[in-house]
Amino acid sequence: MSSNRKEMIKLLADFSTIGMTMAFSIFIGVGFGYFLDHKVFDDRTSPWLTLIFLGLGIAAAFKNLFGMAKRKDL
Amino acid sequence: MEHPILFISVILQAMGLPVPHTLVGETLLAKLVSPHMTYTWFVMAFLIIVPKLTLGKIEMVPGKGQNFWEAVISGMEGFMADNMGKEGAKMMFPMLATFALYIVTANMVGLMPGFMSPTSNLNITLGCTLIVFVTTHFLGLKFHGAGYIKHFLGPIPWLIPLMFPIEVISHLARILSLSIRLFGNIMAKETLLGILFMLAGAFFAPLPILCLGVFVSIVQALVFVLLSILYFSAAMEHAH
Repeated sequence: MSSNRKEMIKLLADFSTIGMTMAFSIFIGVGFGYFLDHKVFDDRTSPWLTLIFLGLGIAAAFKNLFGMAKRKDL
Repeated sequence: MEHPILFISVILQAMGLPVPHTLVGETLLAKLVSPHMTYTWFVMAFLIIVPKLTLGKIEMVPGKGQNFWEAVISGMEGFMADNMGKEGAKMMFPMLATFALYIVTANMVGLMPGFMSPTSNLNITLGCTLIVFVTTHFLGLKFHGAGYIKHFLGPIPWLIPLMFPIEVISHLARILSLSIRLFGNIMAKETLLGILFMLAGAFFAPLPILCLGVFVSIVQALVFVLLSILYFSAAMEHAH
């Protein structure tokens, strides 16, 4: 296998994570916020922590996306 | 969606063991003899016994068997050295090579009738992924000590309260994406094969999916190992 092809496979594996990481970041954010709201604080803070962690999850998703876009080694 | 016949389960059932009919059993014994466990042990036994049989005595001028295994091992080592440097490859080689061989064999074994891929159960892939996750952070702590926390804090000091949860979330998302990708691909292959086999098995309907299954098995194992390598090398290098 030539080095060009190896490089392509590596990049494919790397970039194939974009979609899943984006979705899972948001779901982990919402899930953690929901857990804090309903299990730890017994609905007293509902729905604010869910919303805050939803925002953090979306921010994590986009940070990952921009990190991929800004890579210098392409 | 269950496999039509799993021969290890059939044998164990004939021996009077409580083989579960759902994915995971109730009691400890039923959990131990559930299909994904028995087929994991089958794959482990295969990977221990077959190299022992084919390798023979290690010689200066390699025979057929030794040649094959040398090609496999040196190919994997070269692949890892390309991606994480010679030192890192030397240190992590036993673990990553185990993952590569185990996942390839476990994916492939489901292509035969009467066998099941252990990786088509989320518990197995999640176990592999948690090992990778813990090792990543262990490597980070080993290489940077307490300074590993800088990997999570980002470049700007006053943004730390925002960046820390974001980084933690994106690290946790890796667990999910790594495990669910492998599980989803292999379970899709297994389910598709099962359905096609029951619908039109006599007319070789599963044949194209079997060919695709070989491809998917190799690609998914490659992707799993490659992403583990990328995570390890990211944990070992300095924070930017």
